[in-house]
Amino acid sequence: MQKIQPYTVLAVDDNLLNLTMIEKSLSREGYQVFIAGNGSEGRAIAREKQPDLILLDIEMPGENGFDVIEKLKQDAATNQIPVIFLTGVSDVNAKLKGFDLGAVDYITKPFHPLEVLARVRIHLKLSIATNSLIQDQAAKLLQVAEAQNAMLPAPKNFPDARFGVYYKALEEAGGDFYDILNISDYITGYFVADFSGHDIRTSYLTASVKALLTQNCTPLYSPRESMKIVNAVLQKILPPEKYLTACYLHLNRSTMVMTLVNAGHPPAACLPVHGDAFLVKSRGDVLGMFSDAHFGVLRMKVTRGDRFLVYSDGLVESVDKKINWVAGARKLLPVFQNLREFSCADAPGQLIRHLSGAHRIPEDDIVVICIEV
Amino acid sequence: MDYKHLADQLDINEEEFSELVALFVTITRADLKKIRQGVSNDNSSQAAAAAHSIKGAAANLGFTQMAALAKKMEALANAGSLDNFDAYILEIETRLEALAVT
Repeated sequence: MQKIQPYTVLAVDDNLLNLTMIEKSLSREGYQVFIAGNGSEGRAIAREKQPDLILLDIEMPGENGFDVIEKLKQDAATNQIPVIFLTGVSDVNAKLKGFDLGAVDYITKPFHPLEVLARVRIHLKLSIATNSLIQDQAAKLLQVAEAQNAMLPAPKNFPDARFGVYYKALEEAGGDFYDILNISDYITGYFVADFSGHDIRTSYLTASVKALLTQNCTPLYSPRESMKIVNAVLQKILPPEKYLTACYLHLNRSTMVMTLVNAGHPPAACLPVHGDAFLVKSRGDVLGMFSDAHFGVLRMKVTRGDRFLVYSDGLVESVDKKINWVAGARKLLPVFQNLREFSCADAPGQLIRHLSGAHRIPEDDIVVICIEV
Repeated sequence: MDYKHLADQLDINEEEFSELVALFVTITRADLKKIRQGVSNDNSSQAAAAAHSIKGAAANLGFTQMAALAKKMEALANAGSLDNFDAYILEIETRLEALAVT
């Protein structure tokens, strides 16, 4: 029969009698007990043996219990191990300081072996429950991230759309979102949006928006009408204070007309085959907030080989530098211009590499799409 | 000294308690030696640390009088006074020897 791995407890106390009492009372209940007669020895054992819990005496010569717990918590190898400290009955300040330094509980001295056992048990249970909760939540978040990534179309699956993309979520469940809509053989819709807030609820809403776009971005509706309907539904279903900024680029490769609908989103950029890059601006209200929202629409003739960059605010906004979208985007125009050297597929990645090369740490989620006519 | 009662208090058997007492006697003899050294070298912090150790161990085993005496010694030593320590040491020693022969 396979032996179950025992739970391990490290007891650190300069008093050998206390150590012996703890060792006896815990080992007879099936725990494996490591003992250390001073702080530095205790820390070494904690690192090596990775006990499930540490009982730590406060008053010890040399490195006292406070020093030990402080170092344990600073050490990545030991900072997850719950620490219960042993302290004199009347010493309120010592108790508070212990908690402040990260202890989970204390046992007053003189201690009773049964109390030690009871506290060890309850904190091991708590620690196990917390760890499994963390693992559970991490697994769920991972699922959300995977589901969200599955919702983001890959360029290779949309060869006619001729686009390249860079997508980076700052957290597991990002607030940025994009979609590619095959409206007809010649018409493609490119939708980039940014939800206010970055939480699971945002990711969940991504699926709703994706469904809404598929239903409403059809040849039946003009781009503005599509956004009007999407807005009306979102306004009904979004939680209060939740909205999204979006840029919807509608490209008809038959009539060679590009239509851009802006809903409170940073301006897009045009990189024409001939000439300098420029911003494609139109003002509009955000999606999902107002029933009578207005969306700025811009139409322009395009030439084969023209490129458009649509991106989220993470690219052009800097909270630290207080740069607004238009100013940020304008500053990037020369950088955009140089992207012509790269293929449409590589341009978004190159743009990010160029920007992060200047030690720019992303402050937000980022999505960049490069579209070629 | 009613070992059975004290052992019951700690939820251990008498044999286990005897082992702990033997250990206590050994440790406390060593601590008393440190206190003596502290007194002769006028090192009150050394005496206080050793008294602290006796206090904790005695209290854990239920030897309340010895614990009270050690507590008093610790407080005095912490205040820098080692007066009458010879008498206190003798009293603890006497109690300790009584335990050792039990």
